[in-house]
Amino acid sequence: MSQVKQHPPASPSALNRRAALKLLGSGLALTLSSCGRPHEEIVPYVEMPEGLVPGVPMKFATTLALAGYGRGALAISVDGRPIKIEGNPRHPASLGATDVFAEAEIMSLYDPDRAKAPRTKDDVVTWDAFAQALFAQMQQEKARHGAGLRIVTGRITSPTLLRQINALLTQYPEARWYSYEPISDDAAFDGSMLAYGRRLAALPRLADAAVVLSLDADPLGAGPRQIADARAFSQRRTRQAQPFLRLYTVEPEWTLTGANSDHRLALHPDLIRNFALAVTAQMQGENAPDLPDPVAHFAKICADDLKANKSKALVLVGRRQPPELHALGHWLNAQLNAPVDFIAPADGNPLGDAQALQTLSRDLDDGRVETLAIVGANPVYDTPADLGLAHKIGKVAFSVHLGLHENETADQCSWRLPMSHTLESWSDLRAFDGTASIVQPLILPLYDSRQAHDLLGLMAGTIAPSAYDLVRQTWQAQRSGGDFDTWWKQTLHDGVVANSAAARVATGAPKRPDVKPAQAARGLSLLLGADPSVWDGRFANNAWLQECPHPFTKEVWGHGIYLSPGDARRLNIADRETIEVWHDSASLRAPARVREGQADGVIAVELGYGRTRAGAIGNGIGVNAYPLRTTASPWLISDVSLRGTGEIRNVPLLQHNFDLEGDGKDLYPVLTLAELAQGKQPPDHDYENRPTLYAKVNYDSYAWAMVIDTSLCIGCNACVVACQAENNVPVIGPEEVAMGRDMHWLRVDRYVPDPERPPGFQPVPCMHCEQAPCEPVCPVAASVHDGEGLNAQVYNRCIGTRFCQSNCPYKVRRFNWFGYADGQEYADLGADSVRASHNPDVTVRGRGVMEKCTYCIQRINRARHHAEIVDQPIPDGAVVTACQAACPTRAITFGNRNSKASAITALRREPHHYALLGHLGTRPRTTYLARLRNPNPAMQEKAQA
Amino acid sequence: MPQLFSPVANTIARVVLIATLVVPFLALGAGYALMRSEYITGRSITTEQPVPFSHAHHVGQDGIDCRYCHTSVEKAAFAGIPPTHTCMTCHSQLFTNVAMLAPIRQSLAEHKPIHWNRVYRLPDYVYFDHSVHVNNGIGCSTCHGEVQTMPLIRQAVPLTMHWCLDCHRDPTRYLRPKDQIFNMSWSPPPDQAERGKRLLIEYHIDTEHLTDCSRCHR
Repeated sequence: MSQVKQHPPASPSALNRRAALKLLGSGLALTLSSCGRPHEEIVPYVEMPEGLVPGVPMKFATTLALAGYGRGALAISVDGRPIKIEGNPRHPASLGATDVFAEAEIMSLYDPDRAKAPRTKDDVVTWDAFAQALFAQMQQEKARHGAGLRIVTGRITSPTLLRQINALLTQYPEARWYSYEPISDDAAFDGSMLAYGRRLAALPRLADAAVVLSLDADPLGAGPRQIADARAFSQRRTRQAQPFLRLYTVEPEWTLTGANSDHRLALHPDLIRNFALAVTAQMQGENAPDLPDPVAHFAKICADDLKANKSKALVLVGRRQPPELHALGHWLNAQLNAPVDFIAPADGNPLGDAQALQTLSRDLDDGRVETLAIVGANPVYDTPADLGLAHKIGKVAFSVHLGLHENETADQCSWRLPMSHTLESWSDLRAFDGTASIVQPLILPLYDSRQAHDLLGLMAGTIAPSAYDLVRQTWQAQRSGGDFDTWWKQTLHDGVVANSAAARVATGAPKRPDVKPAQAARGLSLLLGADPSVWDGRFANNAWLQECPHPFTKEVWGHGIYLSPGDARRLNIADRETIEVWHDSASLRAPARVREGQADGVIAVELGYGRTRAGAIGNGIGVNAYPLRTTASPWLISDVSLRGTGEIRNVPLLQHNFDLEGDGKDLYPVLTLAELAQGKQPPDHDYENRPTLYAKVNYDSYAWAMVIDTSLCIGCNACVVACQAENNVPVIGPEEVAMGRDMHWLRVDRYVPDPERPPGFQPVPCMHCEQAPCEPVCPVAASVHDGEGLNAQVYNRCIGTRFCQSNCPYKVRRFNWFGYADGQEYADLGADSVRASHNPDVTVRGRGVMEKCTYCIQRINRARHHAEIVDQPIPDGAVVTACQAACPTRAITFGNRNSKASAITALRREPHHYALLGHLGTRPRTTYLARLRNPNPAMQEKAQA
Repeated sequence: MPQLFSPVANTIARVVLIATLVVPFLALGAGYALMRSEYITGRSITTEQPVPFSHAHHVGQDGIDCRYCHTSVEKAAFAGIPPTHTCMTCHSQLFTNVAMLAPIRQSLAEHKPIHWNRVYRLPDYVYFDHSVHVNNGIGCSTCHGEVQTMPLIRQAVPLTMHWCLDCHRDPTRYLRPKDQIFNMSWSPPPDQAERGKRLLIEYHIDTEHLTDCSRCHR
């Protein structure tokens, strides 16, 4: 592992006059002597691949996994290097959009800390040496019918891998396969067992709903269904939507769903079941359990609204809620005739995550495990502490870990094998709805790595076919008749196996579960959750994701422990104060983050941090909450103790370094549907007709503009990472961020809630002002306008005065204080492999240069060049910016304002259209649609809790 | 009191006075001349290549079209340098044992690419696109000179930004009809001024925005 490189200190160094003059002289001499022409080579192919045009991006359909489920992707490759992920419109879990994890897969592929060669505890070995050792071991297993063989994996939906595992289990009847996910959906599956007597996956259809009640469910939050659910939600949240969806959320801590709801109630997790019972009672006319007045009122209004919208009303229950509540949710949905489908789950794990891990733990205790193969999972780090797997795995005589990194688990195994990245592999995956798609490699493995199919092939002992042949065999066997090769080519091209979605299951009526009201825990409870940036910890070494701000706290490179203001006052804890939380023998030490809207009596922390063997990026970032987790209660730990330390630390934040003083309602106007119907407009709606002293500029050709619909923005950050990947935006590291520096060209501002307004998100790229304040202050004309209204930054002119940054009212300009991408990279990101991730169509900026959003000028120019070659004007929709392509809800629209028929012109005519700080007369080209809400008038009669 | 200054001092003072006026201008002029000199721009400098490929022979004598080797010139930013395979389409039959071609045969046998030395080099912040030029009336020889006369390729033009802008401000002097793009010996006809204007309209070239920074820099 390479050393973490520190940036030189920002303070002036101890340089005396003599030394300074010497340096000046030698600098001058070097400058003069370096005037020669740099030597460059052109290295063509020996045999050029068919269809390749050098330097022209090509798209290939493939599939990326998140928690085992596939999301379709179109990976962009230039000269054989994958450089960008975009969504696959044909795939139901992508719909043409991406999420942060999909975008960041490029960084995972080129991560310099990846495992590069097979190793034993002491030595680098060859795959042949491993194959020989494995063969001998498997001979022993054969003798005992595999009684000592255990395979541990994450969730597996790949038909080919499931086929291989089943074949192996047939070959070794006594062997066992255990699969688990740390972010487990056990409760949901157990709930369907209670309600329907079988393991079913529910697929709520948000697009068909008018009223939704979310009980700690987070359909809009990170996860394998985020894109599909967010798209369905957004279809019901535009001004034209009939009906406009109304969302009620009851949750203990902020989720993206809560932030996007019309009514939200913060409630202790234990009380959510009481709330659900109250809703049930109100709907059925029964006696409700005793609830505090505002909560009971909220429940009554929810129940009435749900009942009034039968067959368009939906109740969602989150994975952190107990199975009985899921069953109650199913029963309520059945009463409401809710738009929800059921399918048989796509994964082949009949045990459930908790039981799989418990059985594995027992097997290890009993000494039954002789051969342990861990494929792609990290149980030493991410399993509940009460199982003690961390100590048990190391005792197995023959243990194999196949993974992208040599992580905590590899450390305990006798064989550490490098796994190929998804973009280097052939495989197949199923999406959350069962749709299968092929995983197609974009590049040969960068290192001496293999994939899961290869390892299982080696374990089966025969001369295994390649992963490519295995995948083809799987699908060939399922097809009868027709030309397979034609079908295969079409399927690879489309990125989706046609008609492979799981059949809807007819369920019959669900059983009504017997749910007893709960007593709220007296002590403090600790709530765990998936992290929006690193998920369960598997993305911890991804620098793009570590520097991707938390949607609510805007914290990067770590996380805090969230407290309600009430609890903070009661326990006398200040914001950002380091606190210690402990339960039994496990403890956490992290900064406290006090936030409005968190339920009293519950503190929350995200999983996935505190890795020790992640790599140079992820090691030691944040704290590890898994040791507090138990198998019986994976999400909520009751009766934790908390103590402040009095030490206040500087937390790296990308927003909220200082607060706005009441300007929020002008910057981020929120309108209800009723207000909109009455003709109310946002303050800066009429910004273009304001009187001005500036000369009017006539833009006669294209006039590029962007409209961002803040009603649709759910705050998922996909655009932020997409922009980073597309535009070679460097990672700067926690120390630089703590100094208030930031390089993201696109940020998502969060507006904090107040009693009248919910929080909201506002993506802020460069506004490309027609009267740009950054331009007149540049002494070297590095900030200039072009004829299409783009505010261009000419890097080779920029001398770094930063006047433009000071004069920009939107604060979207970013300065390279160091060679963040050019010789002074954070940690090991200056590695050659990371340079391969750069987009060749975008300049890599050097030290001392200002940079900012360019409206993806490389994409505009590509479209222009194409248009000029075919001698046609650039059609509407031909330029899609990276942020626009990524957005799951299609909140961002880009186009030519001068075209009457373009989508952007229509959006700019909307009644809730406005410009950010439009009254300054900057005439920005990036404009917004105000956030629309659909509150229930009945709710306003009484104030929210 | 003796004279403090000798009579020469007057001359020195005059020379210094004149020099303080003249030298800055001379220095500026020299600097300007240096920046445009072939030493700095690399114009007319012939670069050695691993194989002394002669455009004079292949284009001038054999008459091979540019696009036979530079395959992507009409569709991509990069014109394309032929893979070894392209050389061998002819040289597996012709001059099969010539010592000069040993690196080509070796490249094919060992599957190792040939490292050609770049002649036309633009700074990394310039994004030049061949396709958009050859599809809009700019012929190869406008920038690459009469390659059919060059035994070894050399940079025929200065490639300074001044030179680029010269044409971007007024392309009419260089515009050719579509069928003349790959004609290496094209020279402007006497009525080019008028023909150029017609071609400008024909190719739909909007000269007003051709000098925008964002056209070439990103």
